Amino acid sequence: MSTVPIGSSDFPLQNSEALAVPADNRVPGNGAIWVGIFAEMSEFALMFLVYFLAKVHYPEFFDQGPLQLNTTAGVLNTLALLTSSYFVAKAMQSVRMGYNQRAIRWLWGTVAAAVFYLLVKAWEYQWNSQQGIEVDTNLFFTVYYYMTFNHFLHVFWGGGAILWAIWRLKSGYYTADSHEGMEAIASYWHMIDLVWIIIFPLLYVLR
Amino acid sequence: MKEHYSLPSRWLAGKSGYQVLDYVWWALMALTLASAWLAESAEPSLVVTLFVAVTIGLKGRLVVDRFMELKNAHQGIRFAMNLYFYLLPLVVVLVYLFPEFLADLTKLSR
Repeated sequence: MSTVPIGSSDFPLQNSEALAVPADNRVPGNGAIWVGIFAEMSEFALMFLVYFLAKVHYPEFFDQGPLQLNTTAGVLNTLALLTSSYFVAKAMQSVRMGYNQRAIRWLWGTVAAAVFYLLVKAWEYQWNSQQGIEVDTNLFFTVYYYMTFNHFLHVFWGGGAILWAIWRLKSGYYTADSHEGMEAIASYWHMIDLVWIIIFPLLYVLR
Repeated sequence: MKEHYSLPSRWLAGKSGYQVLDYVWWALMALTLASAWLAESAEPSLVVTLFVAVTIGLKGRLVVDRFMELKNAHQGIRFAMNLYFYLLPLVVVLVYLFPEFLADLTKLSR
């Protein structure tokens, strides 16, 4: 990872507002994580394609479906994931400034937001079931379950990666000058957030 | 050569990257709550669809540029990520405008 370390060896950190600006034209994290991210984005793109195809062929299901879902659960999940991404970005900048303890606190916030997301989603599935909504109710709900459960799994293992980053930070593995692995995990987490930015309006808002 | 900056870029100039993240978070929260309000109250229309499409694009760009920090990163990676958030809103609008045409185009048997 290459950075322009304003607040590093040449400019020792002396105050909390010291900055480290990532160098231009760099690859955040490493090349391998971007292969993974683009593979995941392509996988979800296929799911979005299926959603659009199903929507034009069965418009009545896709007109009524969003009205039957629990919008509050969808909104809470969106707020939680966006906030988790914000926490990760704050943690990333804290590491660059040399504040590892602060970064760890931000990442625990991310883990809390991820657990909140998982609990809300589990509750939402149970709520759906009580309303008589199942995977095979109609094509809208088949797409809904396929897309959201797939995303649910990504949040679960992405949360595991964040826990790994916390452990590495605690072990002193990441520093202001060397934090490639953490940046790769951060990029992956933001990808999970980006996918939900699309899923939320497609399933809960658009009719 | 004179450089041109967008209005948000000019407004954010002088603020630290750490501070800018706070503004981005507030913007994302506001856009999400506006979408939620739409989901609960508005009937489907072109205006609603356009709003949703623009919101997806804006939120995506904010996360890609500011949280993922791709603003000054590798141009190819940034281009591909941003392209996703131009194409998807476009498809949202096309599906709203031409559903029958697209259904006809994607029929397995004619």
